[in-house]
Amino acid sequence: MALKDQKPTEVLDVLGRVCPYPQVLTKKSLEKLPSGAILKIVTDSVASAEDAIPKLAQKYGYEYEVVKLEDKGQWEVYIQKK
Amino acid sequence: METLPAGSVITIFSSLVVGIIFGFVLQRGRFCMNTCFRDVMWIQEVSLFRAYLLALAITMIGANLLEDMGLIFGFDEESGELVATELSRQTFAPVANILGGYLFGLGIVLAGGCGSGILFRIGEGVFAAIVAVFGFFIGISATMHGWLKPVYEFLRGIKLEINGKVNPSLWDIFGGSQEIKWIIICIICAVFIIYVLKGKPFGKAPGKGFYWSTVGVLTGIVAILAWWASGYFGGDPRGLSFTGPTKEFFLSLLTGNSMSPRAQFDFFGVFTSTWSAFYVAGVPIGAYISAKLLKEFKWKVPPINDLLTSLFGGFIMGIGAAIGGGCNVGHGLTGASTGAISSFVATIFIILGNWTMVYFKFIKPMKDI
Repeated sequence: MALKDQKPTEVLDVLGRVCPYPQVLTKKSLEKLPSGAILKIVTDSVASAEDAIPKLAQKYGYEYEVVKLEDKGQWEVYIQKK
Repeated sequence: METLPAGSVITIFSSLVVGIIFGFVLQRGRFCMNTCFRDVMWIQEVSLFRAYLLALAITMIGANLLEDMGLIFGFDEESGELVATELSRQTFAPVANILGGYLFGLGIVLAGGCGSGILFRIGEGVFAAIVAVFGFFIGISATMHGWLKPVYEFLRGIKLEINGKVNPSLWDIFGGSQEIKWIIICIICAVFIIYVLKGKPFGKAPGKGFYWSTVGVLTGIVAILAWWASGYFGGDPRGLSFTGPTKEFFLSLLTGNSMSPRAQFDFFGVFTSTWSAFYVAGVPIGAYISAKLLKEFKWKVPPINDLLTSLFGGFIMGIGAAIGGGCNVGHGLTGASTGAISSFVATIFIILGNWTMVYFKFIKPMKDI
């Protein structure tokens, strides 16, 4: 099942926050979560959603999905901690 | 007051076009040099850093080729004609380059973007970026013309000549001949390119943006274009930079006089400005076009604390950039492409300043939890 269809363990709402805060807070949240947990991040920062957060997930080898909500001008990013 | 050449619609338009292209490339490539330096330290991620080195290698080769081909122009003061000249290399003011660069590096982390980053983010609707640009302008103007001017003049006054030159390039250390120049350019570019090739330069970005290697190549091409255009249309081969031009844009807008030591034009008898001032306005426009096409534009207002941090960060950036003689683009890309020692020194300290602030603002607080 895709990550976005599962119930996230935690939701991180960083709407309005600019890069790099979404990435920094994502890192912080991931460190606190147990392995296997799914973190859902809601952001409207282009750079964070399209670049910084995916890179963070890739760096740790975590599975991730980026869902762009074009009508709202925001993104949902799902990351599963290994 | 000496008579200035008349600026025209073409002067404004050519500069705006350069800015629009650059803004488009930056937005599409999500190319923020603050992120590029930060991620090296913060998550040991170096792909944007590779993009930066690729852009620098391309600009270095392109700009110096243009110089040797006689395609770098400037106004001759006596005749008023456009003549072939050299790339503008900055005066080596070691203390100012080090302190200013370091301060600028600290500031970009707080402001949430570098000299070009805060401008192109406006085009994405990032309100904090507008606030940061105001801080940046105030910082530069206060340092170059206002209360901090004595500090600025003192620090800029400490100069170091190498081989009889006040604005030495790396090759002036070794005599400065044409052969030496190209040997050094080839060595630097070879090292950069080897590092770039290690990072899988042929790939696809996860989203709709450009892949990092595409961003690097396009940024380099825009920087070369700006080297040519700033001379051909602006009479002063400054290349792409943001510190001086940001100040010149706002001062000419607010007071009618850009107060620039560089080549200025008289526009329609209303205001004086440099060519470069207009691309400052072009960058957000280009970024807006890109963001709008990708459906990524939306006004975003962060909490007040973030806004104040951005304002303060922009102010610190402005002081640092004015003292250091440029920002990450003016020094890090354009200046470094000329081989100027001042630009290499300033760029190294911009990166160190960035890392220092990243440590205290992001890394240390996480360790303390």
